[in-house]
Amino acid sequence: MKVLELQQVSKRLGKFTLQDISLSIGKEYFILLGPTGAGKSVLIEIIAGIITPDTGSISLNGREITGLPPEKRHIGFLPQDYALFPHLSVMKNIEYGLRIKGKKNKFEVIEISKKLGIEHLLERHPENLSGGEKQRVALARALIVQPELLLLDEPLSAVDLKTKEKLMEELKRVHREFDVPVVHVTHSFLEAGILADRVAVIMEGKIMQIGKIRELLSDATSREVAEFVGVKDLFVELISQLE
Amino acid sequence: MKLSTIFALLSSILVLFVILPVFSTFTTQFSDLNGLVQTFQDYDVWRTILFTAYAAFLSTLFAVLFGTPLAYTLARTEFPGKNVVSGVVDLPVIIPHVVAGIALLSVFGSKGMIGSISPVKFVDALPGIVVAMLFVSAPFYINTAREGFQSINPRFEQVARTLGATQFKVFFTVTIPLTWRHIAAGALMSWARAISEFGAIVIIAYYPMVASTLIYDRFLNSGLQASRPISILLILFSLSVFITIRVLLWNGRKNESS
Repeated sequence: MKVLELQQVSKRLGKFTLQDISLSIGKEYFILLGPTGAGKSVLIEIIAGIITPDTGSISLNGREITGLPPEKRHIGFLPQDYALFPHLSVMKNIEYGLRIKGKKNKFEVIEISKKLGIEHLLERHPENLSGGEKQRVALARALIVQPELLLLDEPLSAVDLKTKEKLMEELKRVHREFDVPVVHVTHSFLEAGILADRVAVIMEGKIMQIGKIRELLSDATSREVAEFVGVKDLFVELISQLE
Repeated sequence: MKLSTIFALLSSILVLFVILPVFSTFTTQFSDLNGLVQTFQDYDVWRTILFTAYAAFLSTLFAVLFGTPLAYTLARTEFPGKNVVSGVVDLPVIIPHVVAGIALLSVFGSKGMIGSISPVKFVDALPGIVVAMLFVSAPFYINTAREGFQSINPRFEQVARTLGATQFKVFFTVTIPLTWRHIAAGALMSWARAISEFGAIVIIAYYPMVASTLIYDRFLNSGLQASRPISILLILFSLSVFITIRVLLWNGRKNESS
């Protein structure tokens, strides 16, 4: 079943151009993988409605959303720095999406906080949270409004390796337990290998290849993808060990 | 000699340059305490100072009402001619205020573009004073509020929208709460600047007198001895309001961070 469908989406931003992006994503954990400056973040901002594409169309669960503003898309978005509102407590951050719709519900906040193991943080302010705690709060805030899709922009780039491992497990669990499709942007093979059901390699504004991580490693369809994934021999080993 | 020592010396000269005339006004007045007491008991002086504070308050209200959207637009949006608009905002700071008064008179005067059709009388009336104050003090508010809006990461607003908030709701639930200190500081600066205005006001509305016009009037008619106590009263009044609001803002900040 298609959840998100992009057809020939293009966007020109100064010298950079995102070119004819066509993608079809199901109820899966999907990773957009590519080097810095490839256009990954631009693409998820287009999906979130923050950037308007020049051409192309986007649909979500069969609903045309290309011209819709972010508030009407029902897409959750976690930016790289989580962007927790600094003037609000954790409780009020999580509650925000409900409150502005007049559906303030403390019980729901507590319930989602328990699921994410952050109920002890509710009275704190974002500045007093660790990187991992911030991510969980941002997830709770995005998930409480029951989005049809969750976008994660480099969610693990600002944490140390040990926390990263823990958070990767957390993300996989959230995807499963909340039954929410995920599009996760990263430049890390490790994240793609551990988390992704499928991966799209994006380079210089173009989708180079889409498939399972093993397919990319064993059957790269272009020299650029082969070079991008080929140097990671250790990673190949890691994948075979995991399997 | 160390760079920090040279900087400290040069800085002290400028600080002294500002402090000295104010300090001297106070010390000279000590030789005429009787005059200060008399001014303190002068109903007309107090009425003029309070009237000036009220006019400055109205001017600040307009600056906040119309300046906030402008400051936000300048901080957040790219549009053709943005530099020109920014230049226009700063124009009142550059041009002499007497010239500003003449320019305002040509628009709000009885034969001016707006003054000729408006049912509101501007010349020698409170609206004229407010208009003159607004003209010279608005840049202080707009530029401070603009800095405030620029200091906020747009990600907060973007995320709020993905959580279902319209642009309007985002502005009042995220943007304003994160910028209120800049807005309050800008309003305070604008109010203080409006209170001290003379050049533009004296052209468009000599009467009813504001504090600066009264000081000038007493200086011309009765000399320094008559005008200095009013100056001291105006300084003390403005400073006490300024400091009170600053302290309130500072306490608000401390309470928020604790």
